[in-house]
Amino acid sequence: MGRARRARLAHLRTAVIVAVGFVVLRVVYRLIFGGSSGGGILLVDLPRIQLPGPFAGVSLLGPITTGGLIATTLGALPFAAGILAVGLLGVVVDLQSLVARATRRGPLRAISRALMIAWSTFPALRISVLRVLVARELRGERSVASLLVPVLEQTVERAIALGASLEVRGFAASRLLVPDSSDPVTMTDAALGFERRWVLEGLDLRLAPASLTLVTGRTGSGKSTLLQAISGLFQHQSGGEQAGVIAVGGIDRIAEPPRETASFVSVVPQSIRLSFVAATVADEVGFALAVRGDAPKSARPAVAEAARTLGIEQLLDREIVALSAGEACLVAIAGAIVSRPLVLLVDEPLADLDTDARSRVVSALDRLAHQSGVCVVVAEHAIHDWDDVVDRRLEIVDGGVREWTKAEGGARFDTPPARPQSATRVGEPVARVSNLVVTYPDRLAVDGASLSLFPGEITAIRGANGAGKSSLLYGIAMPKRRGTVTVRGVDVHTLRRRARRQSVALVPEAFDDLLFTTSVAEECRRADRRARQRNRSSSGAVPGTAATFLRLLGVDGESGTAEARELLDRHPRDLSAGERLCLVMAIQLSARPSVLLVDEPTRGLDDRARLLVGDALMSAAADGAAVLLATHDAAFAARIADRALTMSAGRLDRLVGVAR
Amino acid sequence: MTPRPARRGAGPWWSSWLLGAASLVAFAGFAWPLLAAAAPADAQASVPFVAIALVPALVIAVALTLDREMYTAQTVALLGVLTAVGAAVRIVSTGVAGVEAVFILLILAGRAYGPRFGLLLGISTIALSSLFWGGIGPWTPFQAFACGWVAAGAGLLPRIRLASPRASSRLELAMLVAYGIVASYAFGLIMNLWFWPFAVGSGTGISYLPGAPLGQNLASFGLYSFVTSTATWDTVRAVTSAVGILLIGPAALAALRRAKVGSAGFTPTAGPTVRPRSTELPGGGRRRRPSTAPDAAAAPRTTRRPSARA
Repeated sequence: MGRARRARLAHLRTAVIVAVGFVVLRVVYRLIFGGSSGGGILLVDLPRIQLPGPFAGVSLLGPITTGGLIATTLGALPFAAGILAVGLLGVVVDLQSLVARATRRGPLRAISRALMIAWSTFPALRISVLRVLVARELRGERSVASLLVPVLEQTVERAIALGASLEVRGFAASRLLVPDSSDPVTMTDAALGFERRWVLEGLDLRLAPASLTLVTGRTGSGKSTLLQAISGLFQHQSGGEQAGVIAVGGIDRIAEPPRETASFVSVVPQSIRLSFVAATVADEVGFALAVRGDAPKSARPAVAEAARTLGIEQLLDREIVALSAGEACLVAIAGAIVSRPLVLLVDEPLADLDTDARSRVVSALDRLAHQSGVCVVVAEHAIHDWDDVVDRRLEIVDGGVREWTKAEGGARFDTPPARPQSATRVGEPVARVSNLVVTYPDRLAVDGASLSLFPGEITAIRGANGAGKSSLLYGIAMPKRRGTVTVRGVDVHTLRRRARRQSVALVPEAFDDLLFTTSVAEECRRADRRARQRNRSSSGAVPGTAATFLRLLGVDGESGTAEARELLDRHPRDLSAGERLCLVMAIQLSARPSVLLVDEPTRGLDDRARLLVGDALMSAAADGAAVLLATHDAAFAARIADRALTMSAGRLDRLVGVAR
Repeated sequence: MTPRPARRGAGPWWSSWLLGAASLVAFAGFAWPLLAAAAPADAQASVPFVAIALVPALVIAVALTLDREMYTAQTVALLGVLTAVGAAVRIVSTGVAGVEAVFILLILAGRAYGPRFGLLLGISTIALSSLFWGGIGPWTPFQAFACGWVAAGAGLLPRIRLASPRASSRLELAMLVAYGIVASYAFGLIMNLWFWPFAVGSGTGISYLPGAPLGQNLASFGLYSFVTSTATWDTVRAVTSAVGILLIGPAALAALRRAKVGSAGFTPTAGPTVRPRSTELPGGGRRRRPSTAPDAAAAPRTTRRPSARA
């Protein structure tokens, strides 16, 4: 509260400054236009200048007297007092808590809720801007669009995720439906799709209370669609169509939008961080209750209970932005179970998490299903984490759902390594990192890392979340003063941002931040233009970014083909995640860097996309770049890397694999 | 009352009239120095006070009207995050002479989501930045209206449908750039108009003279406005808006149009409010299926998207 009081006093100070400014402004106007003549002592005797033409009545300057100045000041005081009065009102009335109260009831619920959301969006917005600023430095761009467009894209993405999050937590619900708790989910000959083209068909499904069901399948196979059809977001927000019958708690899904069933159907969405509504963990967990109009005080026991269930009591006072990925996932689950749901839908909860956090989340969901009696449905493409806890496994194949059987594993990722044997270490290292140190205000992220990189070689750095892998990559791409990074004998620290890209290029984990135009072709053209600016001397030999992109995707390079043309004409955000990553890689390769750094290239990708990205990285290495990637995906590293290093607590450890 | 055919984004039939009337009366509040002469002689002195009390009341009336329509999860979420961006831009650009970059956002969002959303976004942006920064004063409601009008105006501009989508989007961009310039000057003029008598006081060559002929007051106002803002702040603002819209317009509109605004009572079976988008990590994925949004025909998946190529 002390901070809020101080903030309000700061508002009063602003009001005083503005009020004084107002009086000064008025005196200045008076001096310039027509002077301040009047009684009293003559201070300065300026000449009076008459204006010509339509402004004949106006004169400038003129004599200045004390009487005139006093009269002007006095004349300005009433309005200045008005400014101060409004400022004082802002100190006496706590506008913020007024807005907070208006979100619960009254005729301004929508606007006050929007203001609260805006308020809690500020920290995320700041982070987003800082991230995009770095991304644009990585791309060597300086234009306004390269900053504003990615920030706006993230904003809209957040709005869509938030809208869904508000909806499934009962925002703007009109009545309370009572479910049949013995029948959480039933589908009878249901089909789901868009414009009469079914994505999923022939769904006959009955899910039991107190069970944990795992839905598996490729990215894009329809896992999320199935979950969203149960939550109702598919039919009611995404514009999807449904045939047949889907009932949740015995209530017809197509008849009731998600908000009306929010009290017994809860959702933990895929993009957890984007879906957070509140600024603090306690507010976030209690949001579903606050939306129903419960006062914060009466919601407190339920919030504490939910936090206890997930073992996150110690996080309740934290800011949302200060959570780690694993903590964020647990907080999102707590926020979903606070209303004691009958059905809990969890979409790919493990995508961002390291081994430790994974097991915490899995056991939390296990407890919810088997101790609290919730019907838990999890969509996930990584299945082995769930082996011990699932009751039922469904697999989505070719637009249908079937019970999973162990016999058919499908195409597994850990097939024999595809790395061609010809890739051997040649001669001198192209880059040397020695004794690199990266520090943040609160901790040491990289503690004296040293390594050498060789052309055509792929090196993987493995380690848990927070081990310092990303910090190491950023430290190499944008070295500060501590430690040295030399590429082809040149200290990278001394290079300017565009020249630096010819030595080292980084593809960040949030690679979308680098994209800011409306078509793939346009992105490629911009990259080419930047590359030409640098390579004017050695022109001709530079292959176009579009050609690189197509080659990384394995599409026929003759850009006359229909497939290539169709790809290049797309909006970058309409590409799949794997294709987008390849586009960003092509853009970063356009400067022909000696070293290509890639941060967590397989995050959230399914096996097919991982194969695509793996092939693209090998193709980049085959062109002579030294590739260094940070990943916690052991199978991926084993498949494509020539050698792997591990990192923990900021220290680069031993060599895991040796060059083949 | 006969039920009217539901229009997208529109509220009950009376709300358009109410919003229009409120805007008209509010405009009279802005223009009080020029209209005061029409008031009875003994009421002349109270005109400025009436104007200063009237405009905040109208802001609240507009907010109350729109609140009912905007009470859906998706709209509130959009309004919230865009308000945050608007307020942040406004706070950051405070003190940078006239670079009111917030106009770029207001105009593009008003264009993408329509006049009602734009009006509310203008109001909420001013409300939030004032709450945050503390610059609340008698001018706040006037700013709220003026910003709301800037955004709403972009939404009221005609919809452009040429044979080729690329030509349409270019023409739309040109129209928005022109509108950005006009809106920047108009904003400066009306904000000067109501404040002018207070800012200058009496007794100078450019002072407001109660009861003077309209022509004389207009000449004084014109000179005041020209010297204090039109030639300086407003021009910088116009250039900023035009350049900003030109640079980020196509990509920003494409981004904004991925989300759709629906109104309360808008039944889901009648159409979608959000275009399907991100199902893949990280940060959105491929739109694997054609949208069923009513205006999706303007940009089906196979068509060339609006391009920034010039």
